[in-house]
Amino acid sequence: MSKYVERFNTPERVLHWFVTVTFFTQLLSGLGLYSRLFVGYQDFFGGGQGAILVHKIAGILFLASSLLLFLNHRREISAMDDDDRRWLSKMGGYLSREPFQENNGKFNAGQKLFGIFMGMATLVLGVTGIVIWIPLSFPRVVVQLSLLVHGLIFVLFIMVVIVHIYLATIGNPGTLDGMLWGRVTRLWARKHHGKWFREITGQEKAG
Amino acid sequence: MACKQWNRLDADKTANQGSYENPRDLTSNLYNRIRFVEKADGGGMKWLFLNERCVHCGDAGCMKVCPSPGALYRTKEGFVAFDKEKCIACKYCVSACPFNVPRYGADEKVAKCNLCADRIDAGMMPACAKACPTQTLQYGPRGAMIARAKASKRAIYGEADLSGLGVLYLLDDKPEVYGLPDGPSIPASIFLWKDVVKPLGILGFWGSIAAVLFHYVTTGPKRLEEDAPEKGGIRHE
Ligand code: HEM
Ligand code: SF4
Ligand code: SF4
Repeated sequence: MSKYVERFNTPERVLHWFVTVTFFTQLLSGLGLYSRLFVGYQDFFGGGQGAILVHKIAGILFLASSLLLFLNHRREISAMDDDDRRWLSKMGGYLSREPFQENNGKFNAGQKLFGIFMGMATLVLGVTGIVIWIPLSFPRVVVQLSLLVHGLIFVLFIMVVIVHIYLATIGNPGTLDGMLWGRVTRLWARKHHGKWFREITGQEKAG
Repeated sequence: MACKQWNRLDADKTANQGSYENPRDLTSNLYNRIRFVEKADGGGMKWLFLNERCVHCGDAGCMKVCPSPGALYRTKEGFVAFDKEKCIACKYCVSACPFNVPRYGADEKVAKCNLCADRIDAGMMPACAKACPTQTLQYGPRGAMIARAKASKRAIYGEADLSGLGVLYLLDDKPEVYGLPDGPSIPASIFLWKDVVKPLGILGFWGSIAAVLFHYVTTGPKRLEEDAPEKGGIRHE
């Protein structure tokens, strides 16, 4: 029997990395507009006007792909059960070295919250981004608020993404495999997502 | 018109809109205009006039938000001038100006009164002040202008607002009657954006990095049970 189980199929992985690339494109092209400390980053895009152009094009791609990612997973992340609530009250067991018996579906409660944040934040960045894009078509207060909110969500987004990257890589060894080549070890699946593992394999022990 | 000649601005088409006031708004080709205010005064009508233009704020909202160094800059006399070459057409300054002054033309670049920075450099007066036949517009060192304004005993607008405006108005009525904000300030959301979110964002970024690193070396990652015994042992894939 194979040592692995499939976690993400190819279209899912491609979509995830597409969102990642557009996200970092947005990050780099937006930084120079965020603060003059970072004008240097605009050189990647041939100056400020280039950065704005890239930000608009990649913004549309990011908006579309990230919303699609959210919609694809909306059912898996929208409901919390008792195991999820236990996970949340223990903060996923991340705050101590005590072993924590988690019993998660395909996604744990933290991942569900992350997914919901992604969806909402993408939408808000998209809407405010379009207002900033054509400021003369909106009342001045709306544009002023959009600039503030776009900047605020940008900051929150980065903080959340840093945590996401940490937990998906060195924080939980074995996790990245699932997104890189689609498979995870049975051992990993049983430990991190026991309920999901039993659903897809119909068995209790890691073979 | 002196302004248009000096700054080489084309004429905009204007229309008669049933008022003596014409043109009705600033444009990318019109850096200053006269705002007409009609006010009922007892039985009759009072006319108030205001030269509407960039007032060269001491604490300028437009400069606070401009992401492109040098697109908006302060001249050594303290005025806010602009450089179309450096403007990257983000239009942030439009939203940040308390007086709603900056305009955009077909070139998508910023346009506003720059107090004829090039004339001043050459030791001349701004074209508007030079041309004004009644000396309603006067140009001079700020201290001297304030002293002269005080002597006239009329209400001065802009002496201390926004760290002092570069253009002072002498008003015969309340600022609002002229369409000027009473106690102008940089819009609150713009202030929050640039003075609160921006610095906190940098803190948040480094804070998050520090937090995950701290977690890694204290609590540590969630290892799979087998990791430890497997080390040094036989690995079979
Ligand atoms: C969802 C799609 C998005 C759209 C449609 C969008 C659109 C825009 C637009 C039009 C601007 C103004 C650019 C200009 O100067 O003309 C802007 C600014 C900016 N964007 Fe986005 N954006 C999006 C997503 C993002 C993301 C994902 C990030 C960060 C990872 C981001 C970060 C920024 C930053 C830092 C600025 C500078 C303004 C500020 O500090 O608030 N944007 N965006
Ligand atoms: S009036 Fe507006 S454009 Fe002029 S300096 Fe002040 S903020 Fe800038
Ligand atoms: S439109 Fe031009 S002048 Fe105005 S804030 Fe943007 S870069 Fe600066």
